[in-house]
Amino acid sequence: MSRVGKRLRRIIQRPGSVELTRYEALLPAVEKREPDLEELSDEQLTEAAASLRDAEVFGDKQLVELCALGREAARRGLGERAFDVQLLGTMGLLSGHVVQMATGEGKTLAGALAAAGYALQGNRVHVISVNDYLARRDAEWMRPVYELLGVRVGWVEPSLSARERRDAYASEVCYGAVSEIGFDVLRDRLITAEDDRAQAAPDVAVVDEADSVLVDEARVPLVMAGSVDAGVADEEVANIVRRLRLGLHYETDADGRNVWLTSAGASVVEKSLGGVDLYDDEGSERLASVNVALHAHALLTRDVDYLVRDGKVQLINASRGRVAELQRWPDGLQAAVEAKEQLPPSDHGEILDSITVQALLAGYPQVAGMTGTAVAVAEQLREFYRLEVAVIPPNTPNVREDSADRIFESPGKKLRAIVEEIRTVHESGRPILVGTQDVAESEELADKLAKAGLPCVVLNARNDAEEAAIIAEAGTYDRITVSTQMAGRGTDIRLGGADGADRERVAELGGLHVIGTARYPSSRLDDQLRGRAGRQGDPGSSVFFASLNDELVLANAPDVPDGIHSDEETGEITEQAAHRQINHAQRVAEGVDLEIHRNTWRYTRLIEHQRAELLKQRDEVLGTDVAREKLEAAEAERCKELAESVGEDVLTRVCRDALLFHLDQLWADHLAFLTDVRETIHLRAMARETPLDEFHRAAIPEFHKIADEAEQRSAKTLLEAEVTDDGVDLAAAGVRRPNSTWTYLVQDNPFDSDAEQALKKVRGMLRKKRS
Amino acid sequence: MLSAFRSALATPDLRKKILFTLMVVAVYRIGAVIPAPGVSYPNVQACQAQVENQNIFSLLNLFSGGALLQLSIFATGIMPYITASIIVQLLTVVIPRFEELKKEGQSGQAKLTQYTRYLTIALAVLQATGVIALADRGQLFGDCDQPVFPDNTVATLAITVLTMTAGTAVMMWLGELITERGVGNGMSLLIFLNIAAQIPAEGANILSSQGGLVFFFVCILALAIIASVIFVEQGQRRIPVQYAKRMVGRRMYGGTSTYLPIKVNQAGVIPVIFASSLLYLPDLIGRLVGDPNQASGWQRFLQTYLVDQSSWVHIVSYFALIIFFTYFYITITFNVDERAEEMKKFGGFIPGIRPGRPTAEYLSFVLSRITLPGSIYLGIVAILPNFFLSLTGQGQNQNFPFGGTAVLIMVGVGLDTVKQIESQLMQRNYEGFLR
Repeated sequence: MSRVGKRLRRIIQRPGSVELTRYEALLPAVEKREPDLEELSDEQLTEAAASLRDAEVFGDKQLVELCALGREAARRGLGERAFDVQLLGTMGLLSGHVVQMATGEGKTLAGALAAAGYALQGNRVHVISVNDYLARRDAEWMRPVYELLGVRVGWVEPSLSARERRDAYASEVCYGAVSEIGFDVLRDRLITAEDDRAQAAPDVAVVDEADSVLVDEARVPLVMAGSVDAGVADEEVANIVRRLRLGLHYETDADGRNVWLTSAGASVVEKSLGGVDLYDDEGSERLASVNVALHAHALLTRDVDYLVRDGKVQLINASRGRVAELQRWPDGLQAAVEAKEQLPPSDHGEILDSITVQALLAGYPQVAGMTGTAVAVAEQLREFYRLEVAVIPPNTPNVREDSADRIFESPGKKLRAIVEEIRTVHESGRPILVGTQDVAESEELADKLAKAGLPCVVLNARNDAEEAAIIAEAGTYDRITVSTQMAGRGTDIRLGGADGADRERVAELGGLHVIGTARYPSSRLDDQLRGRAGRQGDPGSSVFFASLNDELVLANAPDVPDGIHSDEETGEITEQAAHRQINHAQRVAEGVDLEIHRNTWRYTRLIEHQRAELLKQRDEVLGTDVAREKLEAAEAERCKELAESVGEDVLTRVCRDALLFHLDQLWADHLAFLTDVRETIHLRAMARETPLDEFHRAAIPEFHKIADEAEQRSAKTLLEAEVTDDGVDLAAAGVRRPNSTWTYLVQDNPFDSDAEQALKKVRGMLRKKRS
Repeated sequence: MLSAFRSALATPDLRKKILFTLMVVAVYRIGAVIPAPGVSYPNVQACQAQVENQNIFSLLNLFSGGALLQLSIFATGIMPYITASIIVQLLTVVIPRFEELKKEGQSGQAKLTQYTRYLTIALAVLQATGVIALADRGQLFGDCDQPVFPDNTVATLAITVLTMTAGTAVMMWLGELITERGVGNGMSLLIFLNIAAQIPAEGANILSSQGGLVFFFVCILALAIIASVIFVEQGQRRIPVQYAKRMVGRRMYGGTSTYLPIKVNQAGVIPVIFASSLLYLPDLIGRLVGDPNQASGWQRFLQTYLVDQSSWVHIVSYFALIIFFTYFYITITFNVDERAEEMKKFGGFIPGIRPGRPTAEYLSFVLSRITLPGSIYLGIVAILPNFFLSLTGQGQNQNFPFGGTAVLIMVGVGLDTVKQIESQLMQRNYEGFLR
């Protein structure tokens, strides 16, 4: 793009237009520093870095020094000299942008230098990755660089003890998966003594794979649950539901999000349950379990939505195609699926607190990010995080050839053509990577390939442990790799195998050939898959196959215009209208996603606000004697009596524990209440009220009751509980702390999205009718 | 109420928004009285005095805040924008490309908005040309013989058309600015403003022609009407709804906040507009057919009974039409079958009533019961100005701002805006909630 064009884009604030020339101008100065730094011993290098800590302002001079030191440290520690573009990335990150760097350009190092830069300015930095494996790998890989720069680095993973965890967070730079860091935030919210706190307030988040974390995962709430009730899976209902038939007893809608009983179905269920009325006040409890069981039965498919492994139901994350270890379905759906698969029910608990990824990141004063595909989500990053995207040019220009989509009339013919394509390309020995939509499809394709005499390696949620190894070898001569979306991130595909031994031969043939078996619901995921080929100026090519009966089209744009002709024999369609239809379907899918994201965020913002208020109060109770004072005012006599029998200190602790407990309990209740309100609030649009406003109207007064209620309940506990020298036995007083707590991610809520859909429909209708 | 406003002004964020809105409003009001180039201001004033609002353009004039008959730079007002958005909405059903865009969410919607803007400009050119042509031929003001455009060359008139079109574009922009950076929905607020702007003039009219006592009573009555309209507008029937889709440990809150609201006046202001448009027809036919001085028998009949707004035939048929249109409109907008179907789909039901057909029947029953008082209320509010007129002896003006369409729109927009301010306030005022 010409300079004028760039400037114009910036003026009209097009995404991805952050000014880089300012940083480019600094690069020569960095280069000039290089010979001097090469002379220094390791200790002197560390000292030079330490002197950056004393700088009052972090201006261009310090930036140049940091980059030069970083380059030198990387050369010594990793044996690789950071490219100019990597330093540009570092500078972009240090000014709080999301930088877009193509696959294989060395984001990890750029991120590490930026994290070190922030740390040298006296900040506590979290580097947030998508999973535990990458967090640990990156931290260990970059450790020599950090050490040369005199910055302490650590990482967190689920297996750490509380003590190790505190240590890791105490480092200047701490690597961690977004879920792990989020869970620690949640755990810290339930502590009853100041010393138990794991995280000290962090200053900066450097987010790896920023689009995945900030956009795809943003809606997924991290949940902390306490096991209060044992899991109840209604096996009777599961058995009844198993006998129901589609069309006769229940119906589903086209996009497979909803299922409901027909009246015939309802009668059958009522009779099987012994003649109850599902639709009166008492029956509704039963109805809920029927509905949930039906959802599990009709809408969730084994090997597409979940796997059964080691006697457990494991969810498959749709946007990444891998098993989501920590995820569960909410509100009884998990138990219903377990009942469907006749597995023992897993623990079931009450939600004590939850936080969305978006809210988690909103807690950092400064956020920066890096990814291979940021421009496509630039507007969302701006809207939700106030982040701008800086596009870093690749070190060597990309020469990958992206062919136009090949469209077929039916999935069957498409599959045939894909096998044919693989056979043709494979003949020359070029490595091929095939990206499929889900586990079932990847296995079907592998089967077909095996029958056609084309052996392939399959990578999907079933063997995700070997992911890194399989992907690293995907560039080997003669190799066919069939994968779900998971092959998208984290590990490079080097031509000629992991060591690049055979690079020349493979490059000569044309490099890696990437095939997508269908367009993904977002163009960004398409680009991620394409980006596997053509790393750092390697040759490569990519092509996507699609059909007008793909799920993407059926769900989002089912009204295919008539008169699209296909080739009789192969079923291939070359008409422009078909391309348009498929692009349209993808845009609809993206639009729906964005709308849901935006709506979820609008509602969670209020909840976040309330949580912040509550935490402020909780921290005050935790850190001071305010609980004692309050309860003394309420129950002076009892307090006096207790002070004599157990002593002042114990009494203070008892007061604090009681108040904290009730605050936590009331907050959990409040969350349940909000979920309830949220579910039906879209109906208010019927009376031309704004559902969001009505949500606030319902939620705020309820929240204001919490403080008084907590005090009253604590006073009651104080009166009734037996207080000994060891403190108070809250369980005996009829109140229990959850005996165990655990954390998990909720699969993005299958129910809420329905309400969103309904809301949109109602709104659209009103708008149409009103104008 | 007052304290709410005080705290609204004390919140810096909200204060900024309110002040911004007021500023836009001021800009707009000033523009509404600046005459367009080429227009002879004294002549327009003279003509206006002559016609005494007796004019089929009065509804348009009301919506333009009097700017139309002033021939000001905002004469065409926001009507082109409203028409354009209706047209684009309708086109989404007809043109597949538009339908596609609508489904693509925000980015598609942005494109549709862009089309609406283009269409607005086109319509504004048309409307401005029409208004200016009428005004130039002296037809805008009935029988006024003063030349409104002293210099009626094509060049001058073209500049006037251009100015008015630009005026509409500016108003559109102002409206969008309010929606984006101020409070409330910009377009509705501008309509509200246009109507409210007429009130002082009408008040002054009554004061000067009828004296203080009548003026005083009219004020009291107007307040009473507004208060009762607000009261009824807020009224709703809440049908309890349960959603049994999730298994939650306890259901202690069920019923308090999960309901399907049906407003007493579910139809809004549309039936009144339909009915009054229909009743304009006889007047229009009478004018088109011929010279009122040599009217034939049926024309005279029309004139006395239907066109004359103080005649009881007019009033009764107006009332009856409104009731009819209310039922009609609610039947087409509130599709009980669809609603029931949707509830069934998302796992909702009305306790004690089975989903599907029975639910639809129940909803239909409730709806027809609540529509009766709703429609009678609409009818009464709409015919009120007619009594007002016989009381005050004013000329005929269906759109007198103390009743009918005007008060319904004003109260509607007012309530919406206040609600929005209130909710923004609630979101911001958390400080010190836990003492």
